[in-house]
Amino acid sequence: MLRYTFFRLVQAAFVLLVMTFLLFMLIGMMPGDPVENMLEGNPALTPELARQMRELYGVGVPLPVRYWHWLTAAFQGDFGFSSLYFRPVLEILGPALLQTLKLMVATIVLSIPLSLLLGAIAALRPGGWMDTAISFFAFASISLPNFWLSLILIIVFAVQFGWLPASGTPLADNPSLGLQIYHSILPVTVLTMFFVGPLLRYVRASMIETMSSDYIRTARAKGLSETTVIVKHALRNALIPMVTVLALGFGMLFSGALVVETIFGILGMGKMIFDAIRYVDFNLALIGLLLATIVTLVSNLLADLAYAWLDPRITLK
Amino acid sequence: MSVATPALEVVGAGHVAQPDRPRLLRVSSLSVSFPGAEGRESEVVSELSYEIAQGETLGVVGESGCGKTMTSLAIMGLLPSGAKVSGSIEFDGKDLTAFSPRQWRNHRGREVAMVFQEPMTAMNPVMKVGQQIAEVLVKHERLSKRAAFGRAVELLASVHIPSPERRAQDYPHQLSGGMRQRAMIAMALACRPKLLVADEPTTALDVTVQAQILDLMLELQDTYGTAIQFISHNLAVVSEVAHQLMVMYSGRIVEYAPAEDLFANPLHPYTQGLIRTLPDIAQPMAELYTIPGSVGGKRPSGCRFSNRCPLADARCREAEPALREVTLSHHVACFKVN
Ligand SMILES: Nc1ncnc2c1ncn2[C@@H]1O[C@H](COP(=O)(O)OP(=O)(O)O)[C@@H](O)[C@H]1O
Ligand code: SF4
Ligand SMILES: [Mg+2]
Repeated sequence: MLRYTFFRLVQAAFVLLVMTFLLFMLIGMMPGDPVENMLEGNPALTPELARQMRELYGVGVPLPVRYWHWLTAAFQGDFGFSSLYFRPVLEILGPALLQTLKLMVATIVLSIPLSLLLGAIAALRPGGWMDTAISFFAFASISLPNFWLSLILIIVFAVQFGWLPASGTPLADNPSLGLQIYHSILPVTVLTMFFVGPLLRYVRASMIETMSSDYIRTARAKGLSETTVIVKHALRNALIPMVTVLALGFGMLFSGALVVETIFGILGMGKMIFDAIRYVDFNLALIGLLLATIVTLVSNLLADLAYAWLDPRITLK
Repeated sequence: MSVATPALEVVGAGHVAQPDRPRLLRVSSLSVSFPGAEGRESEVVSELSYEIAQGETLGVVGESGCGKTMTSLAIMGLLPSGAKVSGSIEFDGKDLTAFSPRQWRNHRGREVAMVFQEPMTAMNPVMKVGQQIAEVLVKHERLSKRAAFGRAVELLASVHIPSPERRAQDYPHQLSGGMRQRAMIAMALACRPKLLVADEPTTALDVTVQAQILDLMLELQDTYGTAIQFISHNLAVVSEVAHQLMVMYSGRIVEYAPAEDLFANPLHPYTQGLIRTLPDIAQPMAELYTIPGSVGGKRPSGCRFSNRCPLADARCREAEPALREVTLSHHVACFKVN
């Protein structure tokens, strides 16, 4: 298990290295010049200063050479300066990442039990009225676009009734946890609605399949109650395929979070990457996109470990 | 009584019938049907009536698809949802068809237990073998988890699984097919049920392992006095263990008699055909006989065997012969038997 984890980490590091190169090339080919943007914003910049700035940001140097400079610096922990915020990119990345992770973790913590519960109830009597209602909910969750649902919820709960804030970010300097949660209700609801639908569909399908398996019949032949049969025998088996779905869904949730952040004005990764690309902030865009890669790699690794933990038939070597 | 060789050459030996034992199970006019396409019902078990005495083994034989599993599931109260049951099942004086779900749960696993055909899939792959056995004891004997696990180890030892302490900690995939079936038997016998329903318990196993499992079942029957409903599509296997034999064809009983009687004097053309299909030890290399046709497809009118029966005539295609007792305890459903 340890050896396996180590091996996978080495593998992940290699993938990450390749990704740095690819992303560097892609972003390097983006049209636009950060210094040009600054000149527009600040006509007082002298041509001499602009030349110095161009040198500083490496404009005009061939891409592979710039990549090499970036990589050697990155290995020393220096990921460069943001041309937009005039600060080291890591300083900007930290708080943004924290915001997005908060949003995602809250969504996952709510979605997993909710999808398990709804999926299991739906699977109890396929075709029954509960199943029909839950399947309709799943259908709505999958088809309603995030931005649309966000706007509807804002109109209803923030504008019409005024119960909840439309902004995802509290105005206070040091917001209390309660205030943070209060401001997160709408964005987390949208993301949960978005995430629960596909998850519960998988839970339902997986539960229906599991409930018709031989060992469930064996469990019933022992005289166990239906609750014991479901909780002790079916659920864990039905969960095994869920791990993959969760790992894949993580990327989907990340992109969903980016949209929701933008609408609710949350200063997370979404807004950061969006601004970085829009204002040609090369270093910031690069680190933001790299982080998305890391998130995917880590979630895949966690999925494999969870697999081995849930299913004794799998040994990781 | 030992089943020494896998060739199963002792056809016809059976057990000696033990007529004086008190009755344990009485099934009367049991029918099972499923709603089919266009509102038509398909009856998979028709008007089954039979009995099992305490400590006795009833062998149930018939080609696959003839309704053996559905019969066992009906006795266990485990028929798939949608199945319609009629008739009565009386167990130890109680009418099972009137049972509530709760009564069924207290009944299953304690009074009657089942061993299934596929030891590969019949156990939960993510639960330790010992735990799966212990679960029955926790449910019915109200043992603590720890005490039940200890009993599970003893049970594994009693079905001759080597190093039972270690095996109890194993997961099903770590056991061989034969060992898994032993563990299933240990699980079934954990609460010393009065009746064990064994649905093709050896079909999925190698021939040598089959013989060992049969031996084990006989040994445990001697120890615990458990009655067994032993199901197989293989007459040779059933002949090793059964006191009574019941031959099924297309959802019906066609012949039902004490085992030795049935072998010495098979009356129904289908039973005669089945016996002819058995390998003959005098001519081991001879080509095996097979009954022409197959059980599947549309049921013929009249006698359900009439489309394959060498003796069928016009009357056979018109009416269905009823099961009747032709000599003492020997029942047969055929017009041509007097
Ligand atoms: N859920 C079901 N719905 C409808 N028909 C079924 C169902 N399960 C089994 N059957 C039918 O019932 C018949 C008897 O099946 P079964 O008892 O499993 O036979 P056996 O155990 O003798 O091989 C078969 O023809 C099968 O197709
Ligand atoms: S009733 Fe007729 S068709 Fe049926 S088994 Fe007897 S002889 Fe054959
Ligand atoms: Mg069967």
